[in-house]
Amino acid sequence: MSIKAAPLQQKFITPNFWVLIFFMVSGAGFAYFRFFEGFGSVTNMSKAYPFGLWIAFDVACGVALAAGGFTTAAIVEIFGREKYHALVRPAILTAFIGYFLVGLAVFFDLGKYYNIWHALIYWNGTSVLFEVAWCVMLYLTVLGIENIPNVVEQFSGRVNLPGPLSGFNRLGNWILSKADWFTKKTMAFFVIAGVVLSFGHQSSLGTMMLIAPYKLHDLWYTPMSPLLFLTSAVSVGPSMVIFEGTLAAKFFGRKPETELLGSFAKYIPLFLGTYLLLRFLDLAYRGVLAQAFDGSVAGYSFLLEIALFVIPYFALKSKNVRQSGTKLFLCALSVICAVVLNRFNVFLIGMDMGSNWNYFPSVGEFAVTFAFLALGVMMYKIAVNYLPILEEEH
Amino acid sequence: MELNRRKFLKIGTAAGGAAACSLSSPALARDEREPDPNWYGMLNDSTRCIGCKACQVACKKENKLPAESTIGDEKAFGQAIYDSPRELSEKTFTLIKMHQDEQTKETTFVKQQCMHCVDPACQSACIVGALKKQPDGSVKYDAGMCMGCRYCMVACPFSIPQFEWHKAIPSIKKCTLCSETRLSKGQPTACSSACPAGAITFGKREDLIKLARKRIEAEPERYLDHIYGEKEVGGTGVFYLTKPNVAFAGLGLQDFEYKAVSGLTESIQHRIFQYFIPPIAVYSILGGIMAYNQRRKKAAGKLGGDDEY
Repeated sequence: MSIKAAPLQQKFITPNFWVLIFFMVSGAGFAYFRFFEGFGSVTNMSKAYPFGLWIAFDVACGVALAAGGFTTAAIVEIFGREKYHALVRPAILTAFIGYFLVGLAVFFDLGKYYNIWHALIYWNGTSVLFEVAWCVMLYLTVLGIENIPNVVEQFSGRVNLPGPLSGFNRLGNWILSKADWFTKKTMAFFVIAGVVLSFGHQSSLGTMMLIAPYKLHDLWYTPMSPLLFLTSAVSVGPSMVIFEGTLAAKFFGRKPETELLGSFAKYIPLFLGTYLLLRFLDLAYRGVLAQAFDGSVAGYSFLLEIALFVIPYFALKSKNVRQSGTKLFLCALSVICAVVLNRFNVFLIGMDMGSNWNYFPSVGEFAVTFAFLALGVMMYKIAVNYLPILEEEH
Repeated sequence: MELNRRKFLKIGTAAGGAAACSLSSPALARDEREPDPNWYGMLNDSTRCIGCKACQVACKKENKLPAESTIGDEKAFGQAIYDSPRELSEKTFTLIKMHQDEQTKETTFVKQQCMHCVDPACQSACIVGALKKQPDGSVKYDAGMCMGCRYCMVACPFSIPQFEWHKAIPSIKKCTLCSETRLSKGQPTACSSACPAGAITFGKREDLIKLARKRIEAEPERYLDHIYGEKEVGGTGVFYLTKPNVAFAGLGLQDFEYKAVSGLTESIQHRIFQYFIPPIAVYSILGGIMAYNQRRKKAAGKLGGDDEY
């Protein structure tokens, strides 16, 4: 509680700003063709690969990588580890941005995007997607509420709209004070709700591909998949906090918080160890491990995925690694890559559609995905610049 | 029974917390759905098919589907290929494919179309319920409800649903069993009416199975003793017969287990959300831990400040 978060108030239009604009504009160009000329004009998706990069990366990886929000909130707010308080606001912010982008990506990927609201009124309880959609919608709302205090703190009693809008200043202040009252009263409820909702859809993403037992490779087709998706998301949460914290410090010219992040990294081997234990027990129980060595693409992809999980697990047990900014960052990056590859393996690489079919994302698909990433970074840049997200330097 | 349970799940979902109180019933394992003997379907006898593709033409005509060109494919594949087009698509709901056994060189023509499953994976997967098994036996798609997520394409073990990749507003396309255009008028499917070889028989599920069994018994040297689709993936609405020396797997009809593919996902979903007990239990446990930690901190005089979040 000793140090307060504050807006950075730095120069906003930097060269990086233009890089982000470039990616967003190029993505928007391809988006035009996707919306007006059909998927076939920009994507490489086909009847055998109806899910492409946008689902595998933007949605499946997006949700997993936004797990920093609920894991950090749980560690600090529920398990009472006040020491890491400084990490909560940025984590909740990036989770909100992450889920916002997931929603946007779904909108891009839906053929009849204007029917997206049908999930609210037409219920099919047997569908895994139905549950994922509801949890993501509710969780995005919860994340929005969790971010309200940042806005309230910055502007409450200080609403100063330009020119003719200044008549609304009083209304603005009144709304903020009500929002403040509401969030103070209910925050504990929403913090726990956020964790429960995350448990729900993180695991359900793992259930999704289990509907295709004859398409998904044995290495990933397991009834344990929901639990594995959940535990891997929990493992990647702190890794994303470290990854984002390190990069934010670098790009905004701040002192890296290696000590705090290194201490926070202690959770990774704990979570990752649980995950790997479950993973190997499952593989051993089902007796499919031999398939990893059959020389197929899926086999190599599996081995790489496991290596990316196992190396940081052992490395992060060492204090020496946790206290070095670079090594810590690389370990976090390894866990992130492992989870990304795992999601790709389940959603694309492990889907065997016969030798006649293959899929590699098109330039347009990459461009749209990069545009989403750029939009996310831009939103983060705006938020930390004008809202009290990052704590003032020690 | 199945429908009742589903309806109950919906009510349970809506009632949320209230339903959590009714702990009486144990978690239901997913039961197999029983086929209705009055459902319509088709029997494709691959031993009779002469590969004339009249069914394909009739299907295109019935559904007003445009032609697909395979000109230039000969060059691309290095040899002439019988199948035209190569695969089902948004413009082709049924297709005759030629399969040649590598050892015996035995040639078989086999028809491909929606199998109109007893327990359709697409229906289980569809987020909004736009795909539904109808009382006439067809699996119907509702383009007005559909969001275009394509999860049905992933779910279908036969990879039947097709997506309009080249339309700005795409829909899912597949065989309708001529439910609205013909069955409702008391007519059989277009493909079965067009078949000159008697290879496609339209009829009620029960009758088709009886007919297939009769054919196998009458000419055991002509048929493999198995009706594909009677049990596969929990039963389908379209059945196949094959020659004794040609395995179904060789005809692109995979050796599926005798249970619906959606069994695992549905039982996981139902178990996680059984009367909302697991989510509420997790919520309560986390709430308890949070309350304990806050009280502990308050006692230590460390809680306070306005930036709890």
